[in-house]
Amino acid sequence: MIDGVKCLSKQQGITIRGTKDGLVMRFDDQMGYQELLIELNAKLNEGAFDGQAEMTVQLGHRYLTNEQKKDLIQLIEKNQKIRITKVQSEVITVEECNQRLIEKQSETYVGIVRSGQIVRAQGDLVVIGDINPNGRVIAGGNIYVLGRLKGIAHAGANGNRNAVIAASWLEATHLQIDDVLETMTDELTVLSEHPEMECAYLHTTGRLVIDRLQELRRIRPDISTFKGGS
Amino acid sequence: MGQAIVITSGKGGVGKTTSTANLGTALALQGKKVCLVDTDIGLRNLDVVLGLENRIIYDLVDVVEGRCKVHQALVKDKRFDDKLFLLPAAQTADKHAVSPEQMKELITELKQDYDYILIDCPAGIEQGYKNAVAGADQAIVVTTPEISAVRDADRIIGLLEQEPNLEPPKLIINRIRQHLMDKGEALDVNEITTHLSIDLLGIVADDERVISSSNKGEPIVMDPTTKAAQGYRNIARRILGESVPLMSMTDSKGGVFSKLKSIFTK
Repeated sequence: MIDGVKCLSKQQGITIRGTKDGLVMRFDDQMGYQELLIELNAKLNEGAFDGQAEMTVQLGHRYLTNEQKKDLIQLIEKNQKIRITKVQSEVITVEECNQRLIEKQSETYVGIVRSGQIVRAQGDLVVIGDINPNGRVIAGGNIYVLGRLKGIAHAGANGNRNAVIAASWLEATHLQIDDVLETMTDELTVLSEHPEMECAYLHTTGRLVIDRLQELRRIRPDISTFKGGS
Repeated sequence: MGQAIVITSGKGGVGKTTSTANLGTALALQGKKVCLVDTDIGLRNLDVVLGLENRIIYDLVDVVEGRCKVHQALVKDKRFDDKLFLLPAAQTADKHAVSPEQMKELITELKQDYDYILIDCPAGIEQGYKNAVAGADQAIVVTTPEISAVRDADRIIGLLEQEPNLEPPKLIINRIRQHLMDKGEALDVNEITTHLSIDLLGIVADDERVISSSNKGEPIVMDPTTKAAQGYRNIARRILGESVPLMSMTDSKGGVFSKLKSIFTK
């Protein structure tokens, strides 16, 4: 009898079901974490999985630190032929939330970024004015220049490889997106004679590419936050 | 209460000292009481350009260290009766002998007695520059139509714009060689002003006589027949608040029509 109750509670703690996006392992967010881990161990030892499987872990309203998440993934992947593709949680900490808000924010700098000056932004950066040679702009997000970019621009500085650099006049000496740095030397074939209204982005090949500003809509449709309209 | 104007450039050899000497002389010729201050401690030469080298007794460092009164250190230029004075830099000390606070105090004292104090700044952006800028109300940036000079000017303008007590800096483009600009081999005036985007105070033509007059200790501005002298005189008038159109650099070899046109555009 007692065994039966235990068995029942185990099944309530962790449920595995198949969805159209693959297998989902759902953790009950009301149960104690230690109890869950015990149950998870038991489940994995049952050997209910055969063959390769990709799985998403859903934590519900439970918060796990990055370390805990890592341990959890290790625990599951060690025992079985399961690969965890994603650990989803409905909650984030206030700190993470603030960080995301900052990264989503757009900051505006009005004026000339002169030689030796550095302008930094956590999120997107809009510069209204020129960036002169040896002037530097660094942003966690995208960089938009309403003026001549003749200096150095570094977008996606916190690891965002989808970031772009767009300028009314793109004549930079150095362009960098995430950790990909390109010096704008004459040998570079992408440089145009008339560098008006251009943008730079990371191509799927990992190379930094320059294109017409009009192409941005197609290359990075997510940048547009404008929904609907006619 | 006078105005203190620092003359700076970042890069060396673009004509800071020559411009200081000539603008000071031009302002004195306009009847203003002018004091020139050389802050290039250890490498002074404003005294040489003005031909006052032999009359130096005390210098800037003597004043700030209290070995003499300010008026004892000032060297009077006898050519301009009581209008033009020089406070020479020390040649034996180095730039750390003076602090920005001391300079500020000194310039404030000089402002009581003079209409204009022109401060000749050393090249670079270190201690000497900081000393020179400390007491100033206005700044003039000198550049030449070379990319290296324009880059350094851009850097120095960025630094000047961060000084809370300074008005926005103004630009002098020195050593203009019209034939190079016409051929597109040197940056033209428009390119430089757009790049630096500050107000243009004036342009000065390149002239060999600037060198010979410096060597004689007579600023070129005293010989009004030269283009360089006209350039400096125009700048002095603009400092005094007059509106003077930018002079044409091309020689007026044109026919009657262009001469007529130039009369009307004046």
